[in-house]
Amino acid sequence: MKVSFNWLADHLDLTGHTTAQLCDLLTFAGIEVEGVVERGVRSAFLVVGQVVSFAPHPNADRLRLCQVDAGEGSLRQIVCGAKNFAAGDKVPVALPGAVLPGGFAIKESPLRGVLSQGMLCAGREIGFSDDADGLMLLAAEAPVGVPIHQFLEVDTMLEVEVTPNRPDLLSHLGMARELAALAKLPLRGRADYAGAALGAAAEGAIRLEDEEGCPFYSARRIRGVKVGPSPEWLVRKLESIGLRPINNIVDITNYVLMEMGQPLHAFDLAKLQGGLVVRAAVEGEAFVALDGRECALSGQDLVIADAGQVLALAGVMGGADSGVAGETTDILLEAAWFHPSRVRHTSRRLAMLSDSSYRFERGVDPQQVLGASALAVRLILEVAGGEAEEGTLSAGALPVRTGRVGLDLPRAQRLLGVAIPEAEVVDILTRLNLKDVGGLAFEVPGYRQDLQRSVDLVEEIARVYGIANIPSSMAGEFVAASAADALYDSKMGLRQRLVGQGLFEAQTIKLISQGQLEDALGTAGQLLPTLHLRNPLSDDHTAMRPSLLPGLLATAARNIRMGASSLRFFETGTVFGCTADGKAIEKDALAVVLSGPVSPAAWNRPSPAVADFAELRAVLDALCPGAAVKLKPVAHARLLLAAQVLVNGKAVGLGGQLRPSRVRALDGKHPFYAAELDVGLLVKAMNREVKFDELARFPAISRDIALEAPAELAQGKLEDFFAASKEPLLSGAVLFDVFRDPSGAKLAVERKSLAYSLTYRDPQRTLAAAEVDAAHARVVADLLKAFPVKLR
Amino acid sequence: MESALAELLTSALVDIPQAADEAALEELRLKYLGKKGSLTAASAGMREVPGERKAAVGAALNETRLGIGAALEERKAALVAARDAREAEGVDLTLPGRPVAPGGLHPLTQVLDRAVGILRRMGFALATGPEVETEWHCFDALNTPGDHPARHPSDTFYFDSGRLLRTHTSSVQVRTMEGQAPPLRIIAPGSAFRRDEIDATHLSAFTQLEGLYVAEHVSLGQLKGTLEAFFRALFGEATELRFRPHFFPFTEPSYEVDVKLCPKGQAPRWVEILGCGMVDPAVFQAICEARGDEVYHPDKVTGFAFGMGLERLAMIQWGIPDIRHLIENDVRFLGQFA
Repeated sequence: MKVSFNWLADHLDLTGHTTAQLCDLLTFAGIEVEGVVERGVRSAFLVVGQVVSFAPHPNADRLRLCQVDAGEGSLRQIVCGAKNFAAGDKVPVALPGAVLPGGFAIKESPLRGVLSQGMLCAGREIGFSDDADGLMLLAAEAPVGVPIHQFLEVDTMLEVEVTPNRPDLLSHLGMARELAALAKLPLRGRADYAGAALGAAAEGAIRLEDEEGCPFYSARRIRGVKVGPSPEWLVRKLESIGLRPINNIVDITNYVLMEMGQPLHAFDLAKLQGGLVVRAAVEGEAFVALDGRECALSGQDLVIADAGQVLALAGVMGGADSGVAGETTDILLEAAWFHPSRVRHTSRRLAMLSDSSYRFERGVDPQQVLGASALAVRLILEVAGGEAEEGTLSAGALPVRTGRVGLDLPRAQRLLGVAIPEAEVVDILTRLNLKDVGGLAFEVPGYRQDLQRSVDLVEEIARVYGIANIPSSMAGEFVAASAADALYDSKMGLRQRLVGQGLFEAQTIKLISQGQLEDALGTAGQLLPTLHLRNPLSDDHTAMRPSLLPGLLATAARNIRMGASSLRFFETGTVFGCTADGKAIEKDALAVVLSGPVSPAAWNRPSPAVADFAELRAVLDALCPGAAVKLKPVAHARLLLAAQVLVNGKAVGLGGQLRPSRVRALDGKHPFYAAELDVGLLVKAMNREVKFDELARFPAISRDIALEAPAELAQGKLEDFFAASKEPLLSGAVLFDVFRDPSGAKLAVERKSLAYSLTYRDPQRTLAAAEVDAAHARVVADLLKAFPVKLR
Repeated sequence: MESALAELLTSALVDIPQAADEAALEELRLKYLGKKGSLTAASAGMREVPGERKAAVGAALNETRLGIGAALEERKAALVAARDAREAEGVDLTLPGRPVAPGGLHPLTQVLDRAVGILRRMGFALATGPEVETEWHCFDALNTPGDHPARHPSDTFYFDSGRLLRTHTSSVQVRTMEGQAPPLRIIAPGSAFRRDEIDATHLSAFTQLEGLYVAEHVSLGQLKGTLEAFFRALFGEATELRFRPHFFPFTEPSYEVDVKLCPKGQAPRWVEILGCGMVDPAVFQAICEARGDEVYHPDKVTGFAFGMGLERLAMIQWGIPDIRHLIENDVRFLGQFA
């Protein structure tokens, strides 16, 4: 909402308040000032001048040397680049000493070798207009030598943000009322406008078919008006808030809108066929708006129609054919109260926003509808002549939107945390035009529909009293930590461990494209059905991610494009799916992607190792310290190598190597490894009670074995065998070598060699070599029986 | 005999300091003190020394042995010291170290963790809620009118089921109050979604941190004090805040909070950072209806709530000019905050 200080001055005296003070006053009362535009310059050195004569500049073809009368008794010589003036024209002259907007100070100085004793100004240079082409030409009657600000209006325009609960501030009168209350200033005139008496309803003149959408409609007929340009004062008013004048009738309706907040509409009476009907549109009905837009209406749209056609979209916009034009002589002036939600519906559905719809959808003051009509009629008669028909045509009744509200003062004081005295509370509320009816009850004015409950009054008190005056307190009750706290800490621990392995945490958007679904991995064999948006904004974001992998692969692709070779990312966050009947399911997941060098290249490690399956395994081990991580081979469509990830025997997710075709599509230079885990399951699987285990006091003895095994025998089976061995002295087995010979020279191609170091220990005593040898022999014998392996 | 010993000592004291290394020194030790060494040979001469001179010669022998021994020790210590020194010789300590894979938490996580850490110290417990929400939890229970623009499909993502992607984490307030009796002092970090085109200052999915405190006699003064303490802990003791009255359907009175930024070389400016207010009684009423009890009756409890965008906090904290950096995950970006 744009507010002109000069316009406000119609209602209250703002002299003595700086712009900055007024901006703060509004902002800290909840009316945020978003911008300040100063119009014009107030300076004794910026005066009306007259160009007496001019000649070409001796040294510059494009400059003129002007002799200017600035009312000083002698002429000034001023160099000027503009061409749009003639001798005798009146123009703004900045004399030495003037400071123009932007801090530009005027001095006497030579210009291309000729002294220039000031500057002739364009409108934009002195902030009076946006025109920068040529000098600003002043009216012939402008008095030479007089400061410009005495001849042209200097003003300040504020751009303020009005919150949706305060439609009463969407007018200059409303803003003036508010400032008067905040700054404790008296209003110059009245706080509202009186309306004309309602005449007897003329039969058939107005019919309300949709009283829910339009509880009240009124019209005044004025005949014999002369449509033409608006007078200077009206043009200035509209221009002061950036509105373009159209014609006197339309300008007056706009003026009343901006003055009182009540939208009006003027129809050309000659273009109406019979009486007016306010009704819901017929589905599909056609309407051409005054801006030329053609639209098909819906049954929810509220329209003003006559016998022939739809004349206007109620409260939103008038029609192309029924409005006031140059040849109009008789008008019908509408002043109505339309239901906010109906206006909002139509203006949003058709994306048709107007100053009128903006106010109606927030709620205009029912008590001002007729006052606005009366003001507009008075101005039309003054400005455009004509004769108003006696009485106001009307249908329906104005809604009553406010009443009496009581204030619970002790509760208000507790809620605010400060004991504001009753007298101050009453003073604040009465300054806001609430009427004290005794017993801390207040009559609320019609324009404050937002004040319905005690707490609404508390807000007003807090706003005007100022939160700066409310003492800060940090007191608070203790509450116990929650399950969410525990999960947060677990997740932060997971993150920290992955960072410790040199991974970057990524955060990607939870909405993905149809194509990205192809990258989904998930934490179990089968993905849940995907949850799709009904109203996606773009094809890139149509589905709720069922897996973190699509986002991480997009992250990898982006980094590959940017030249990164080491790709080590993880993400943790929600993944989504739905049940067969469409019920949403949300889970916490964690995914890892690894590809390329495991560390940066350096002088002492020029070609660092490149991530392989063991690297993925190492990262998973590091993620779950103290837990047994196992990978169980499975098949997966997206993966060349796939495994179920087991933590302490519980399946928590999937991991593996991406199909090379996908890596090629990503432009990846190295194999990609990925894992996706269900955080809930992972945290549960890792959750174990740690108990102290007595440290061994007696030394262990180890024996190594090298086994020749079929290449396809999974090492994990041997690992499991050792772990499950019943041999009481065997305390551990560690794989320390794997050997294959692709040439077949040292070992057949289809065979491999696995070497283990087995540890033997008795917690109670030192073992003798012979005992160990016997135990080892038993283990080896069992091993050879259980697997198709032989000792090497 | 004594003169021979003196000669021996002199010769040893000349030889020993010249021993080039520990092996040469060992040779000299053997030469003088070894079983077949000069001193051992000289000691053998004791047998021929007449009785009255034995003591004097013995003393001379002893002195010679000690003298040579001391010289050997001294030289040995010097050679060991030189060897130790050589161990670090030629090492350029300005060379880069073993390369370490960098890694790091996403800046949003870092900001979140700091904020959560501060608020937990102030006695808030974490709470969570679903991102796919019902319209009731996201809007109705939060006193949002039925035709409020935020509900419109042009502003909010919907699913065929009629559910929606929550537009704010305030829905977690509702979820938590439904399930837990007061006093309640919670924070809820999480995603929120709005149907906005992604640009330098907007994301369609972003991160919020919600706070709610409900108990008997919670006041606006406590809201103010709590947020002041929070932002001073986050941005520094000198942080200036201002509360501007505002409007939200679910709080009354409501405020927007601005923080004063003083970037080097620029004029200080106020930046909006948070919305907050006292829980509107209509919210408590909706909760009472949903719970079927009166523990949240607006006559019994009051509360404050606040919500802030974490992207904005991160952008302020590190001077990040474009919000899209936070979702692009470029390692050159992430690496700056590791």
